[in-house]
Amino acid sequence: MELIKNHPILEYAHGEEVTFTFDGKELKGYAGEPIAMALHANGVHIYRVTPEMKRTRGFFCAIGKCSSCFMVVDGVPNVRTCVTPLTAGMKVETQKDKGRVPLEVC
Amino acid sequence: MDFPKTADIVIIGGGVVGTATAYYLAKSGRKNVVLLEKNTVCSGSTGRCGAGIRAQWGLELNCRMALACLDTFEQLDDELGLPTGLNQGGYLLVAYKEKEWEQFKKNVELQHSLGIKTEAFTDVKRAQEICPGVAVDDALGFTYYSRDGHADPFLTTFAFQEAAKRHGAKFCKFTEVTGLKTDGGKITAVETNRGTIECGSVINCAGAWAQDVAAMAGIKLPNWAERHEILITEPVDPGVCPPMLMSFSGNYYIQQRPHGSIIAGESPAHEPLLGYTSTVHSVASIARTILKLLPRAKNIRVVRQWAGYYDMTPDAAPILGETDVKNFWHATGFSGHGFMLGPVAGQVMTALLNGDKPPIDPTIMDYRRFERGEKIVEPNVV
Repeated sequence: MELIKNHPILEYAHGEEVTFTFDGKELKGYAGEPIAMALHANGVHIYRVTPEMKRTRGFFCAIGKCSSCFMVVDGVPNVRTCVTPLTAGMKVETQKDKGRVPLEVC
Repeated sequence: MDFPKTADIVIIGGGVVGTATAYYLAKSGRKNVVLLEKNTVCSGSTGRCGAGIRAQWGLELNCRMALACLDTFEQLDDELGLPTGLNQGGYLLVAYKEKEWEQFKKNVELQHSLGIKTEAFTDVKRAQEICPGVAVDDALGFTYYSRDGHADPFLTTFAFQEAAKRHGAKFCKFTEVTGLKTDGGKITAVETNRGTIECGSVINCAGAWAQDVAAMAGIKLPNWAERHEILITEPVDPGVCPPMLMSFSGNYYIQQRPHGSIIAGESPAHEPLLGYTSTVHSVASIARTILKLLPRAKNIRVVRQWAGYYDMTPDAAPILGETDVKNFWHATGFSGHGFMLGPVAGQVMTALLNGDKPPIDPTIMDYRRFERGEKIVEPNVV
């Protein structure tokens, strides 16, 4: 886990530990913390691949502005994982190309 | 480039109509064509428009003009040497009212007689084949013409500009026309904030500002600017809205650019106020319309909204032709259809100035029709 354990000023009160999947693989994270943070803690740094140049993208602005951390979450594309809280059983996938919008409403 | 002191033809306005006119005039061999634009090319209504191109009209004149535009657009990339972003996904027109549907059927008859192979149907399943997942159970009927579509207004206007320059036309940006000089009922010069240009002819392509320009030569045009709002979403995989989905009674148009962004707009519900300010009311209202029609779009975010002007005339038909002031021409009043009609307007103006037979007879689009109490009544307008 790449999380800061002891901080000189801040104290961390993590939520409940939950299981979610990343590209089909089961991982653990804390409920209520950003999805991107849970992935980072598990050593996952590539969140999407750009549609045209096929370049990898990961954590960048971390405040929901830059589009770098877009992923497909529970079938919904273009989810800003840096500001979206993790919940138990979430299905998180690397986003390739532009977001596909399924016909059936999610 | 030094600011020109003389010109054969001065075009006022750097939208699609002005740049297309500059291109066709320069290409026809006219030397010393100068286009004046008070801001940058495509900074007015063209760059703010919904960019639809359709041949589905209810008047023969409009059908013919629009068909000529489709023909032009289909070979425009090759002709201009730059892309226009044409995307022919068709127009799916939706009728919700009995009277509207009856009118649609009449329009389709007319369109068929002119070679526009519009499909008219009432089956929602067929509509969903064209636009997957579209929620139109409350509609009475649909018409669809597959050659209709949309293009990129910026790319198209820039392509016209570059091609016009190659043929020798000059473009003066940030040049505002401040006055028109006449002598004996004839135009002689254009005054600008950068100097005066002695010229043979002037073409007013100033769109929503055409009335002000015309007034400088004592011509009273009945145009007015009507503010419309529009929004665009983040890009998603194409296929969410393949056709231009549009309804007059439903008051909406929705399209998806090949890039993946969805563009949608509606006619103003309130007293139109002037200015480019966007309103929360509008983004909420347009978003609700998209959600109702395309429920799958519910997680797609809006990234921008903006406002622009329709250059309206009393009958929502353009003003083309010469005025009471000799050599002072007008190509304006497109009433929200300037982008799709711009290329043909350029061809018509070029023919008129060169004394040739225009591809479409513009006599009926004379601005004096309003004084005579005549109107060009088009049933198929937003």
